[in-house]
Amino acid sequence: MSIRHHIGDDTLMAYVNGTLADSLSVVVATHLAICPKCRESEELMEEMAGLFLMETDTSTLSATETAMADAIPGSTLQEDISEKQSRRMHDYSNTGVPMPLAERMPATLDDIPWRTLIPGISHYPLPRTGSEKKKGTLRLLKIAPGKTMPEHSHSGQELTLILRGSYIDDLGRFQSGDIADLDSDVHHQPVADTAEDCICLIATDAPLKFSGFFSRLLQPVFGI
Amino acid sequence: MTSPDGIRQDAAGSRAIPQDLDRDLIAIGQDQDPTAFKRLFADLAPRLKYFLIKGGMIESAAEDVMQETMMKVWRKAALFDSSKASASTWVYTIARNVKIDRLRKERRPEPDPEDPCFVPDGPETGEQAVSRKQDRERIQKAMALLPPEQMTIIKMSFFEEKSHGEIAELLGVPLGTVKSRIRLAFGKIRAELEALQ
Ligand SMILES: [Zn+2]
Repeated sequence: MSIRHHIGDDTLMAYVNGTLADSLSVVVATHLAICPKCRESEELMEEMAGLFLMETDTSTLSATETAMADAIPGSTLQEDISEKQSRRMHDYSNTGVPMPLAERMPATLDDIPWRTLIPGISHYPLPRTGSEKKKGTLRLLKIAPGKTMPEHSHSGQELTLILRGSYIDDLGRFQSGDIADLDSDVHHQPVADTAEDCICLIATDAPLKFSGFFSRLLQPVFGI
Repeated sequence: MTSPDGIRQDAAGSRAIPQDLDRDLIAIGQDQDPTAFKRLFADLAPRLKYFLIKGGMIESAAEDVMQETMMKVWRKAALFDSSKASASTWVYTIARNVKIDRLRKERRPEPDPEDPCFVPDGPETGEQAVSRKQDRERIQKAMALLPPEQMTIIKMSFFEEKSHGEIAELLGVPLGTVKSRIRLAFGKIRAELEALQ
């Protein structure tokens, strides 16, 4: 897989400092799983954060806090690796997509219970938990060959990760593994450009806005 | 001496040396060395608490996150890989995740290297395999060359853990400006890192 479109540094930085919306973080983390280049950028940013940590002042610790330095080694078992292993046991349901998307998938990409939006375009909203529900959207989208997504813009940020197939829009050609990192000012209209369905993972941190008369009719259908 | 934003201006009085931290963390992971943990704790815990408070947490919450982080440092030390990150960076990522788990009540989405779909790094070339210490020094040099308007945003992001939206509001500039300055800053840092190689 040769990836040509990567995570924007601004988006990656928000992921690194923990301020990126959960819906967008899922897409970022899924791309990171398959992109050594973006992981290298992530490591650079974390190293910078570590430098800032070393350069801060210090807070005074209470006696209780200081006592932890002795208490922790005495009382706690080291190596908490079993926790991670038990998580793994049930997470890999062989969905053929990377973590952490895999743990949110109800089935493999071939068996998703797609819901048709308009002929040739269907979607599947992914289950959300906790604070994710409050803000933004996370869904799988399937575009049939030659079909065009209704033109839309965003009031916030939109991240699209191509999982299968490819599409073309004003910004270029996006293939499996590529990520489209779009800001609110971008209007785009992707067209699936091969004989294969194009399946993407799309997250927003705000509802989509569709432009044009026909598209406005679709807004309630997308219901995002 | 400390500037008003709390970032230390000189190294005096700072006894934490990055390589010592790395060595201590390795000793904790390999030998469950309580003395090494005590040293690491004395160096990192007060900084971590300050860092968390500076990042907007109230003192009691910062204490909880610091304690849970140090607990995890002890328990997970065997997973620390000094060829991948320095000790302070590794501890930073643990603290950040503890903080996110606490705020959002759920696990932060992260790639898992054990995932069969995970694409591993390519084989490292001799050029890339620079020591961690050199890496740090190069990153520090590259950051020092950033123009002030970019450095301010980098500081607010990493030191105060502000979101792009919060930074835009505090600086009174459009969100797009914050984003483009961040992109410019990293473009410059990458170019400098290559030039310094
Ligand atoms: Zn990438």
